Amino acid sequence: MSMDLLKTPITRRRFLQATGTAGALGVVGAGTLPNFATLTEAQATTGKSSGQTVITKSFCHQCPARCGIDVYTTDGRVHAVYGTLDNPLSNGKLCPKGHYGQYLLYDADRFKGPMKRTNPKKGRNEDPKFVPISWDEALDTLAKRLNNLRDKGESHRFGLLFGRGWGATDADLFKDWSALYGSPNIGINHSSMCSDASKKAKLCVDGNYSYNSYDYANTNYILNFGAGFLDAFRPYNFNMQVWGHMRTKSPRTKVTVVDVHTNTTGAAADRSLLIKPGTDGAMALAIAHVILTEGLWDKSFVGNFADGVNRFKSGDAVAAVFTDEDIRNRAQAKEKAAAEKVAADKVAAEKAEAEKAKTQEALAKLLKEQLLAKGNPAAEKAVAEKILKFEKAEAKKALSEKIDREQREALDKDKKPEPEIKAGQAIFNEKWVHGLPEWWNAVLKDCTPQWAETITTIRAKDIIAVAREFATTRPAIALFERGATAHTNGTYNGMAIHSLNALVGSMFAEGGLFYQMKTPWGKLPDKAEDFMDDYAKSPDRKKPRIDKVKTADWPMASNMMQEIAKNHNEAKPYKMDTVMFYLTGPIFSGPDCFAWEKMLGETFVVDTSPYPDETAVFADLVLPDHTYLERLQVASTYPFQGYPMAMIRTPAVKPLYDTKVFGDMLIDLGKRIKGPMGEYYKKVGNTENIIKAIAKGFEEKPGDNGVNGYESFREKGVWFKKPYHWRQIRGEFYEWDKGTKSYSKRMTAEGVKEKLLMTPSGKFEFKAGYLEDEHYVHYIVEKLGIPAEKVGFPQYIPASHAGGGDLHMVSPKLALQAEGRSANLPHATASMQPSVGGRKTVYLEIHPDTAAKRGIKDGDRVRVKSSVGAIEVTARIYGGIRPDTVALPMIHGHWGMGRWTKNSGVSGSTNEVTPNVSEPISGLACYHSGKVFVEKV
Amino acid sequence: MAKWGMVIDLEKCTGCQACTVACGMENNRLPGENWQDVIFFTEGMYPSAQLKWFPRPCQQCENPSCVAVCPTRATYKTEDGVVLVDWNRCIGCKYCMVACPYGVRFYTDEKPLVAPDMRKVHDSHDSHSWNPPWKMPDAREDWKHGVGIQPHDVVSKCTFCYHRISKAPPGTPDLDPQDPKLREFTPACVVTCAPGARFFGDLSNPNSEVSRMIGDKRGVRLLDQLGNKPQVYYLTGDGGAVPSNRAINKKV
Repeated sequence: MSMDLLKTPITRRRFLQATGTAGALGVVGAGTLPNFATLTEAQATTGKSSGQTVITKSFCHQCPARCGIDVYTTDGRVHAVYGTLDNPLSNGKLCPKGHYGQYLLYDADRFKGPMKRTNPKKGRNEDPKFVPISWDEALDTLAKRLNNLRDKGESHRFGLLFGRGWGATDADLFKDWSALYGSPNIGINHSSMCSDASKKAKLCVDGNYSYNSYDYANTNYILNFGAGFLDAFRPYNFNMQVWGHMRTKSPRTKVTVVDVHTNTTGAAADRSLLIKPGTDGAMALAIAHVILTEGLWDKSFVGNFADGVNRFKSGDAVAAVFTDEDIRNRAQAKEKAAAEKVAADKVAAEKAEAEKAKTQEALAKLLKEQLLAKGNPAAEKAVAEKILKFEKAEAKKALSEKIDREQREALDKDKKPEPEIKAGQAIFNEKWVHGLPEWWNAVLKDCTPQWAETITTIRAKDIIAVAREFATTRPAIALFERGATAHTNGTYNGMAIHSLNALVGSMFAEGGLFYQMKTPWGKLPDKAEDFMDDYAKSPDRKKPRIDKVKTADWPMASNMMQEIAKNHNEAKPYKMDTVMFYLTGPIFSGPDCFAWEKMLGETFVVDTSPYPDETAVFADLVLPDHTYLERLQVASTYPFQGYPMAMIRTPAVKPLYDTKVFGDMLIDLGKRIKGPMGEYYKKVGNTENIIKAIAKGFEEKPGDNGVNGYESFREKGVWFKKPYHWRQIRGEFYEWDKGTKSYSKRMTAEGVKEKLLMTPSGKFEFKAGYLEDEHYVHYIVEKLGIPAEKVGFPQYIPASHAGGGDLHMVSPKLALQAEGRSANLPHATASMQPSVGGRKTVYLEIHPDTAAKRGIKDGDRVRVKSSVGAIEVTARIYGGIRPDTVALPMIHGHWGMGRWTKNSGVSGSTNEVTPNVSEPISGLACYHSGKVFVEKV
Repeated sequence: MAKWGMVIDLEKCTGCQACTVACGMENNRLPGENWQDVIFFTEGMYPSAQLKWFPRPCQQCENPSCVAVCPTRATYKTEDGVVLVDWNRCIGCKYCMVACPYGVRFYTDEKPLVAPDMRKVHDSHDSHSWNPPWKMPDAREDWKHGVGIQPHDVVSKCTFCYHRISKAPPGTPDLDPQDPKLREFTPACVVTCAPGARFFGDLSNPNSEVSRMIGDKRGVRLLDQLGNKPQVYYLTGDGGAVPSNRAINKKV
């Protein structure tokens, strides 16, 4: 580290100079070494040493969180990546994955330029026999194909599948591309293989199709169902930062973790409960049951019984309205109370009278003594003292009575009048929730902790303890992720858990949870819709998507990537012709991934990864993207602290090889499509133009760190504007007031409905209008066997478990597991913690009893098999997993990724034993619902 | 002269291993050559099952066993309290590795943990043991202080990021990575530690936070009974314990 750098603040000018220098020293003079510059050559060009270290701002690529990073480059060599200090997400910190950047940049297995396949045969073990081609040839080849499809009216047979989209320079391009080209299959996202049920559960009950922002720093309780808070849950880096705070603040945040095995998250918690897979919803419902029967719900947010009397009693239904009998009973009770008061007053009066008489008697006695003592000065003095003492005591007593009386009067004055209750009036006055008594009657009244124990195997006493803690240690957050939702009942599990947040008043509250605000990006100069030709506008383009989303098969899902290969193979609705992949590899990561081998074997496959992978084994064209430290790219934050935030990647070095950033690939491909579409993309030009245009949005809304346009955005790497705009305080919603710098602008119910609780009722719906919608209700009845009148309620329905085995299997993500690529990073593989892996491999966690029954010892090779397939792996005996469950991290088992994955010890993807089963409402692939057999090899 | 020391709060430590990975990046370590390691333990069966972790850099002992046994005085203690290996002097006899009770020393020419061997993939044509493209700036390399890519046949170890801390302004009580002026002088593992479990400062300075924390939070040292007097202290709080030596037999 050059000390000059530290002493002198980096000015914009110096920054540019330095970056320029680094770039020039970078690599590959265009035209000299068209494709295969080797690393050694790359290094050779950096021989001249200035010793100056340049810090480039970027953001991480290893998970969706988007932590700001400082990339350290000296003499054209990236040698370190640290968290950016003045970035509110990374705060100078990183998770372990964040430090992989330099390894990913210099990955020895990277593709060095565009290539085409020369071996027409495709298969796992077929060498594609790639030969290098120029970018022009590569894009012309693809464009010709796409133009041909258009000429034949078959443009829908081109699909573009993607995983981690970052925003304006990639995922946001798909909509226009899809419309202009005329295919509904451009931009099908992997969200259904990610976490769509989390979003869907929230949509059902609070109207937001989104992940949450969580105010962890101010929460006092976290109830976590199946989210790897200290393993993989995003933003992992920030989770850990706030963990350090939560666990040492006063009062310390208490944490209960519900999962199927003890991972780091569970081990660090105050209470770890191992639940039967797929039954989290039952536990959440029982917690709700306890909260209601014990009167622990937040009255200011939820509301209360009109007369303040808790009628939630296990097994008993609550009437909707007061009946005549209620009114009579209430009147009788009132009368009885009045009569009791009269009697009590009478007793008190008598007692006071007797007290008074006693006082007078005592006084008379003293006066008598005074008379007798006359003439005897000593006795007179003694009596006088007695009288004085008596008078003082009396005065004190009188004062105390007066104060008592005044206080009682004051209290009476402040007392709210008894609510007027009429027959026919609602028994429960709901404030910001909808359908609570109905939910209780239809579902909750029977969801006792004892009932839940029989389903979840969690003891009733633990459920009661958790419920009491959760509801009384506020603010409290109920958190959930795929552990609870990647099951056939996932959306309902999620709804049940999320409902707990409403019951304790955490929605939009300090220490609670809310939703992410959007970045005020600027607009692009040209509108794509002005460049649509007749072909694109033709009604013939209205084809169903290849994943059958929004058809009768998947009417409610957003994406169904895991269905694509199956649909293609069955030619329902049709066969694809050309498929392009961007940051996704379902041939490895999709459930029952074998189906993809068939599909990719008979389609024209375009892979855009900078690295070899299983998709590339089947690829006809390889169009390698830059790695992230070479990219110029922008993004908005994933749900974080609610206030809007955006980040930018600036290249730390010039691209090492002949690669092209994906967005520019897509734009350059667009330029080659005949007609006005080509004109549009010529106008767009490149992704840098897009970034410059949308960064203009910051001119009007400068960030808190002074970022007010493209240049300052590049310098800081992040734009953000605090605070989050809304807050619920004791049952009322407020907007932030800039003048008073407080949440003080009271919101109307309409405002809340429009901005925050976007359900049909504008409230948190325990009776979800979204599910009761006439378009969906019959589908849910048919798919999940729930009676129509019950579909709206958070409820427990047993999950179904495909695969045919006798042990549940889960495939978690690890803390050291970078997105998609860590299997080929020896630095990652070598350091996997030993309970799950370490050194060369990852292990199948298996309970000692389960292992013993199968004659399996620690370190034995075992076969994991299901109706889908079988893989071989090494067993790790672990007492921290349920006896009915095995866990195998999803990192290893690659067969096309690079030299370091060849001896991983895991013979195949976990998806070779994971059935392709999806949750009907959200479409989420049920990665954790499969059952397998495990046997010694 | 400072006496540099580290305090690790086990209650805050989340076992993420960012310290390990950041150290490997900053110091160009091979896969698994974890100068800074996090050691995991599992024991028992649910509901008593335990998964524990223990972050362990070189303990930078006041009385280092390794220094005593080194026949060439390659291993030495600096004036500011850090145990280092001079690679110009080290003959790779491994006496220090045997003497160290904490197992924090690494011999260069071990079999690779993950094959193929990264040293072969990024091979060196000079006296360095390998030549990764992500290696630190040339100017930083300092074999006398065990910084950089080492030659073959030597022992290497955690230097407390000596290339960083040795440039800190004299008299600095604590190297706080959240202070922009001190960040670049702070050891990599402390800089990146997301939960803020690591603290680095001058143990001889009564005004340092590390000195105070050791007193207020009952800092303990690993294997204190051996008398090595580590300059790494652990705060155990409610969150963890300094593990005893034990072998866990997982065979059922």
